[in-house]
Amino acid sequence: MSSRGGKQKKGNVTSEQEEEEQPLQAVLVADSFNRRFFPISKDQPRALLPLGNVAMIDYTLEFLTSTGVQETFVFCCWMSNKIKDHLLKSKWCRPTSPNVVHIITSDLYRSLGDVLRDVDAKNLVRNDFILVYGDVVSNIDVSQALQEHRHRRKVDKNISVMTMVFKESSPGHKTRCEEDDVIVAMDSKSKRFSMVTDEFEIRHDLLDCHISICSPQVAELFTDNFDYQTRNDFVRGILVNEEILGNQIHLYVTQDGYGARVSNLQMYDSVSLDMVRRWVYPLTPEANFTDQQGQGCTHSRHNVYRGAEVSLGHGSQMEENVLIGRDTSIGANCHISNSVIGNNCTIGDNVVLDRAHMWNNVHVSSNVEIHQSVVCDGAVVKEAVRLNKQCVLAYNVVIGPNLSLPEGTVVSMHHPEEEEEDDDDEFLSDDQEVGHSKDKTRQKAFNPAEVGPEGKGYIWKASMNDTEDEELAQCLWGLVLNPDPESDSESEASEESQDRTFQLEVLGTLQRGLEENIVCDNLVLEINSLKYAYNITLKEVMQILTRVVLEYPFQQQGTQLTTLQYTGSLLPLLKTWSPVFKNYIKRAQDHLDCLSAVEELFLEQDTHQTAMVKVLMKMYQLEILEEEAILKWFSTGATNDKSRQLRKNQGVMRRMSLWRKESEEDESSEEGECGR
Amino acid sequence: MELQAVLMAAGGGSRMMDLTYNTPKPLLPVGNKPLIWYPLNLLERVGFEEVIVITTKEVQKMISTDPKVKLDVKMKLDLVCIQEDADMGTADALRHIQQKVKTDVLVVSCDLITDAALHEVVDLFRAHNATLSMLMSKAHEFTETVPGQKGKKKTGEQRDFVGVDGTGKRLLFMANEADLDEGVVIRKSIMRKHPRMHIKTGLVDAHLYCLKKSVVDFLADNKSISSIRGELVPYLVRKQFSKSTNSPKVIDETHQNLKKNDSNVNLEIQISSRDEELLHLTQERSCWNDHRGDMSDAYHGGRLRCYVHIMDEGICYRVNTLAAYIEANRLAPKLFDEPAVHPSAVVSERCLIGADSIIGASCQISDKTSIKRSTIGVSTTVREKVKVTNSIIMHGVTIEEGCNIQGSVICSNAVIGRGADIKYCLVGSAQRIEPDGEHTTMSKACSA
Repeated sequence: MSSRGGKQKKGNVTSEQEEEEQPLQAVLVADSFNRRFFPISKDQPRALLPLGNVAMIDYTLEFLTSTGVQETFVFCCWMSNKIKDHLLKSKWCRPTSPNVVHIITSDLYRSLGDVLRDVDAKNLVRNDFILVYGDVVSNIDVSQALQEHRHRRKVDKNISVMTMVFKESSPGHKTRCEEDDVIVAMDSKSKRFSMVTDEFEIRHDLLDCHISICSPQVAELFTDNFDYQTRNDFVRGILVNEEILGNQIHLYVTQDGYGARVSNLQMYDSVSLDMVRRWVYPLTPEANFTDQQGQGCTHSRHNVYRGAEVSLGHGSQMEENVLIGRDTSIGANCHISNSVIGNNCTIGDNVVLDRAHMWNNVHVSSNVEIHQSVVCDGAVVKEAVRLNKQCVLAYNVVIGPNLSLPEGTVVSMHHPEEEEEDDDDEFLSDDQEVGHSKDKTRQKAFNPAEVGPEGKGYIWKASMNDTEDEELAQCLWGLVLNPDPESDSESEASEESQDRTFQLEVLGTLQRGLEENIVCDNLVLEINSLKYAYNITLKEVMQILTRVVLEYPFQQQGTQLTTLQYTGSLLPLLKTWSPVFKNYIKRAQDHLDCLSAVEELFLEQDTHQTAMVKVLMKMYQLEILEEEAILKWFSTGATNDKSRQLRKNQGVMRRMSLWRKESEEDESSEEGECGR
Repeated sequence: MELQAVLMAAGGGSRMMDLTYNTPKPLLPVGNKPLIWYPLNLLERVGFEEVIVITTKEVQKMISTDPKVKLDVKMKLDLVCIQEDADMGTADALRHIQQKVKTDVLVVSCDLITDAALHEVVDLFRAHNATLSMLMSKAHEFTETVPGQKGKKKTGEQRDFVGVDGTGKRLLFMANEADLDEGVVIRKSIMRKHPRMHIKTGLVDAHLYCLKKSVVDFLADNKSISSIRGELVPYLVRKQFSKSTNSPKVIDETHQNLKKNDSNVNLEIQISSRDEELLHLTQERSCWNDHRGDMSDAYHGGRLRCYVHIMDEGICYRVNTLAAYIEANRLAPKLFDEPAVHPSAVVSERCLIGADSIIGASCQISDKTSIKRSTIGVSTTVREKVKVTNSIIMHGVTIEEGCNIQGSVICSNAVIGRGADIKYCLVGSAQRIEPDGEHTTMSKACSA
């Protein structure tokens, strides 16, 4: 603890002295810690996947550099060597780079929390830093947010620990991904995350850019709370403990920047197209900001970009928003729109591409049709293949010829089962040893029905197994959540449904009471608490209770009971539950209400009307109902024809008077006996 | 006639029983005018010529004898009496006068004292062809000490959560703290249509509503709704986003099922009222839209719309508690310019009357008295050497020599004995305070 205190002190002193001179630092997490891009990310880490023919991490680094970051720590885990190689070759590691990139690799990182705990342990950051993922594409100028953040820190004595950057975009905007649908409650004046003030704003029109400006405290807080795994854990923790710890999170809303995280293929698709449509200006395909030789391309009308040495066959059309990498040749009579094609690809004749994302060295034969799909490096699409929406061909897959892949097909050279074997590892990190099961994979043959006669690859099923996590992990294209049905049935209906749910609850309670032999007093307690929970009046409680009990035999044994069976099973129940009834039926009015409930039920169950007399008799014998009440109900209660009929037909009165006499006789005889 | 004014003046004033024990709430004097005068004046100022006043027999009788109401209001008052003991809510009252309602209505409560610009509310109603538009204001902190209360009592009223859209006009959400079990629940479908919602608390509802005629007709068919504020308004606010009202198809169906006596059906039929078709056409042809961000029609095709005008500044009080009553009395003089001292009052020259005080007609104020920040009612007699500060003296009160009255409310026809010292007290009507008594923070109201 003492070392911690010392460090904090030291940190504060330096921050006060050198705040202005400190270079701006950033933490770039080049691992997603999930498997959303499996099986693509089996061969290539997500940060290196090409978007507009440039690796995604380059966009992130360019964004950081352009906002004035001078020192970036790149944390890699899964396939760290590939990322390292990529970065060492890139312009970021040249001596002239304004942004010094440090690469930190470890196989032990399992989450964002681990990374930040390591940041704290290694004492890497000295001041406010920017935290981003390696798959964020953005052109937002964060400097203003940074200024606001620093100002708040100065004014409020380090209360604000984090400023999250959001972009305004209405619900339904295509770069909003359904999974990452945020609703934010904020204080409109102070831009603080909160719901405690008198007036706050709820916003559904924000897109989380996954860019956050953090103070060094954030790393410390992650260390202190070892259970924080993700940024969401952190945000939730801060908000929940706001009153105890006094930390706050603010947000910065930009209206005109672009910022999005490529968190699934849906997002990949839209971000890629946004890039081609120049929404991320100045990060455009022809800008060649990575400064790599031969990557340049020309930009012409309708956002058509062509790299060097692109050949286009006769009659081929590039409609709009098309990016074609260098040395790619396209055959005749092709139709290409809203697509990105990588380097060294060959495309045959009569090919239709719409929203296709082709990476490098892809070979597409003639008469192929591809719609909204991703085709990875080295894949071969043979003749007359049709890829329907949301297909993925992973690295080196061969498909066809003469095949149509149904919507959402994922084909990979890795066998899905090999993946499942690795699943022993509970963590959703990408760093598994793939090699050891290779032999096994080889043994399994490709299924020509699935991938075509000359095809190579295995179909990955979008398996919907057990847990929700699993589901998310497997679903490359992101969830397509249906908008919640705008049912309004609520309220007016809910009044009734409230009664209905109450009835079900009472039924459940009684059932449990029977099964577990619960004392009636406890049942009464439970029903009472239900009464308050559903805001039911005492009168309704009694009516519902009566109804539930009388319907109980039907509930248990079906509606085809004969009257005899019905009464046979009901009467013991009445006896068991009579204390419950007695608790609710006290005043004269209660008796009448109960009776009317009984009547109502038997009006509905008109085949069992004869049972009514027996029920009433039993209730009388159990002293649930009083004699006067029954008589009064009988003489006055008939409100409509039906109920009158009920009384008449069944001769209730006759029987009742009969039984009354009996009981009187009983009583008198008892008395008599006593007298004797 | 675009709007019919309806004044609700049948409330019992249950939250200030001490005051309304003898005087019905609409006739409580505020700044020497009956409370009901203020909303009537408000309506008259904006040009209403006729108003339906819903009230009780008792009030009606008193109004016809009360010179004040007759004197000042030139509008034609159509007094409708309801039975006092029938326990009718405001919506019940509105249903009661359904026959008289020929067009859209403006419903005002009799306890509203405001200088709000009414046209703001009505303009919202007109501009958006709204079903409901209402007036709200920031809640006021009552600073004055309330007689009969020791210390500051926290107002036990529960907060209302009011959700408005980005423009601050469209009413999207309304809930009372009492009805919320676990936090505020807002449906996502609403958020999708109105992605920015401001949730406000600390607002008071002025109980001033513009309602479509169809809503009154709807009330007539739905007897279960008894209060405008408690049930009707939340219902309408909720209904804005219900699918059944929004999709025209369902409405067509309901047209066929005219006979069905279902509440929803009725409302929808009425909402799509007579000129709806023409309006619909206008909306179709127009490129105007009330929102941006998605491609759907104006109002997202909804036919029911609720709007609210929230006053930023100005006076807006609902006189329904003692504290509000006192505050209103303090502010009332600012609302109208009349001489502070009524010409018919006899005021001795050797007494001190502060500029912030009002002296009613035919008062008698004797020598060496001092009256500051107070209201003295009609035909009150104040004898020598009396000191009155921060108090409300209703009419017909007699204050004997040498009394000291501070921060108190003295109801009509009370007699304060010689030399009594009264601080923060509430003296009920026709009470007698013994001479030379000293009283602090008590209420002597209905003990008689």
